[in-house]
Amino acid sequence: MGILKVENLSCGYNRRDIIRGISFSVKEGGFLGIIGPNGAGKTTLFRAITGILRPRKGKILYCGNDISGISPQNFAREVAVIPQILEVPFAFSVEEFVLMGRFPHTGRFEALNKRDYKILEEALNLTETSSFRGRKILELSGGERQRAVLAQGFAQEPRLLLLDEPTSHLDIAHQVQVLDLLKRLNKEKNLTVIIVLHDLNLASSYCDRLILLKEGDIFKDGSPQDVLTYQNIERVYNTVVVVRKNPIDLKPYILLVTEKEKCSRKDV
Amino acid sequence: MNKKRVLIFASLIGIFGISFVVSNLVGGSELKFTRALYYLFHPGSAGIERDIIWQIRFPRIILGLLVGAGLASCGTVFQGLLRNPLAEPYTLGISGGAALGVTVGVLLAASGAYLPLFAFAGSGSSVFLVYTIASKKRFSNSALILSGVILSFLFSSLVFLIFSISGAEDVHGVILWLIGNLSSAQTYLIKIIPFFILPGIGLFLIFSRDLNILTLGEEKALHLGVNSKQVKKLLFIAASCITGACVAASGIIGFVGLIIPHFMRKIVGVDHRLLLPASCIAGASFLILCDALARGIIRPLELPVGVITGIFGGLFFLSFLFKSKRWEIF
Repeated sequence: MGILKVENLSCGYNRRDIIRGISFSVKEGGFLGIIGPNGAGKTTLFRAITGILRPRKGKILYCGNDISGISPQNFAREVAVIPQILEVPFAFSVEEFVLMGRFPHTGRFEALNKRDYKILEEALNLTETSSFRGRKILELSGGERQRAVLAQGFAQEPRLLLLDEPTSHLDIAHQVQVLDLLKRLNKEKNLTVIIVLHDLNLASSYCDRLILLKEGDIFKDGSPQDVLTYQNIERVYNTVVVVRKNPIDLKPYILLVTEKEKCSRKDV
Repeated sequence: MNKKRVLIFASLIGIFGISFVVSNLVGGSELKFTRALYYLFHPGSAGIERDIIWQIRFPRIILGLLVGAGLASCGTVFQGLLRNPLAEPYTLGISGGAALGVTVGVLLAASGAYLPLFAFAGSGSSVFLVYTIASKKRFSNSALILSGVILSFLFSSLVFLIFSISGAEDVHGVILWLIGNLSSAQTYLIKIIPFFILPGIGLFLIFSRDLNILTLGEEKALHLGVNSKQVKKLLFIAASCITGACVAASGIIGFVGLIIPHFMRKIVGVDHRLLLPASCIAGASFLILCDALARGIIRPLELPVGVITGIFGGLFFLSFLFKSKRWEIF
C-alpha cells in the first residue's frame, strides 16, 4: 500500500478545474518529482495534496485515510510541507522558529522536553543552521532562510515531506546542498519525498520517479529515463531541446537550444 | 535568558504597583498626599477622604487597568493574527461602529447610563458586518483589513452626517466621548466589564502558542497543526468582545493598543507566551498613569485620558522611531 494515493482527483479555483481527474500512488521511501510547464497545475496539485485546496472530485489518501478527515495536528505529525517562500513578519530567532516544528507533538499545556531539544539540535545540524541559531529569521539571506524552513520541517519528524520548488530562490551550491540533504534523508531514514521542481536537470538527477503534467493531466509517469525524452519534453513544453546522458550520473540531461542555433544547425 | 525574563516581569509588575499607588494619590479634590497614602493603606477607616480614595479613585483605576490591559492585549493579538505590525484594536472598524452607536444614542437623547450599550451595540454590528464580509472571502487577512477600513469610513461618514444635521451641544458630547475618557464611566460598568475582558485575555493566553504559529500565515500554520480558520475566528471574536467592552466603558482611547505591543516586542521578544502577559501589565500601567496625569495636570479640571495617551504615545513612538538605527517598527 502506498503512503499517499491520489484517486481520480479534480480540483481548481472558482469552479474551473485545473487538475482533471488524475490518479497516482507513491510508495513509502519514494522520491517523486512533479514537473511540467507553467500553468500545467503543479502547484494546484501540490496544494490539494497538502490539504489546502479541497478536491472537487476524487480523493487523496494518506496511509489509506482520506486527508480531509485527518485533523491538522495529526497530519502535521506525519507530513511536513515546505512552501516556495515563507514570509515571517515578526523577529523570531532561528531557534524559536525551528522549535515551532515541535508544535504538533506538544500538548497545549505541555512544556518542551529533552527529546524536543534533541530533535532541535538534529534539525539544526542536518541543515547546517546551528551556527546562526540565535539570529533573527528576518535577517537571514534567502539560502539561510530556506534551510531554516527545512529545519523546521525536519523538527516535525515527518514520514512524508512535501516541497514546492524549494530551490527556486537558491544559487547552484545551495540547490545541490538542499537536494543532497533530502536524498540522504530519503536513503537513510526512508523519508518519502514529493517535490515540485522547475529545473528538469535537478529533477532528473535526484528523483527516482517523475510525473510530467500537461494541462492538468498526467502526460507521463515513470523513471527519469522514461519521462525525460526529447519527444515528451518538446510535446509538453513546446520548445526544442536536446537530451543527452549526464556523464556523471548517467541520467538524462536536457540542453536548451537557442533560436540562432536552431537556424544554423538543421541537423540537431 | 530566563533570569532576564524574570527580571523584566518583576520590573513590569513593580512599575504597575507604583502606577497603581501614584494614581490613587492624584485627583481633582484637594487631598494631602500623606492623608491619601494613609487611607489607601487603611481601607477600613471612615470619612469623606477615605471614600474619595476607595469609592471614586479606586474603581476608576480598576477600570483603567481592565481597559489598558484589554486594549494592549487586543492590539497584540490583532497584530499577530493579521500579520501586520500596524494593526490595532480599532483596525477592523470597531471604533467607527461604536462612534455611530453613541451618536445615535445622543441623538435619541438617551441618558448617559445607556450610552455604553449604544456603543457596544454599534461595535457589535460593525464586527458582525466585517465578519460576514470576510467569511465570504475565505476569511483572509486582506479581506478582514479592507472590510474593516471601508466600514470605518462608512460609519464615520454617517457620524458626520448626523453631526451636520444635529445641534452643536450633542456634537460636543459625542466628541468628548470619542476622544476616550475614564471619568464618564458608569459605576455599573465596573461590575460588567470584567466578564467581557478577563475571559478573553485568558483565552489569548491559552492560545498564545497557536498565535505564534499563526504569524507564519494561515497555510503554514495549518501544516504545523493549527486549525487556522477556527483559531483565527475564535481569537477574532474574543478580541472584538474585549475591544467592544473597552470602547463601551471608556470611549475610543487611542495608541495604547498600537504602541504597547510594539514596545513590549522590543523588550520581551516576539513569543506571544511572554508578549501577551507583558503587554497586559504594561498597557494597564500606561493607561493608569496617563489617567493620573489627565486628572492632575490642570486641576481641578480634567483632561480626557485619550488626549494624554495620544500626545504621549505619539511623542514616545516618534522618539522611538528616530532613536532606533534602522527604520523598523517590529
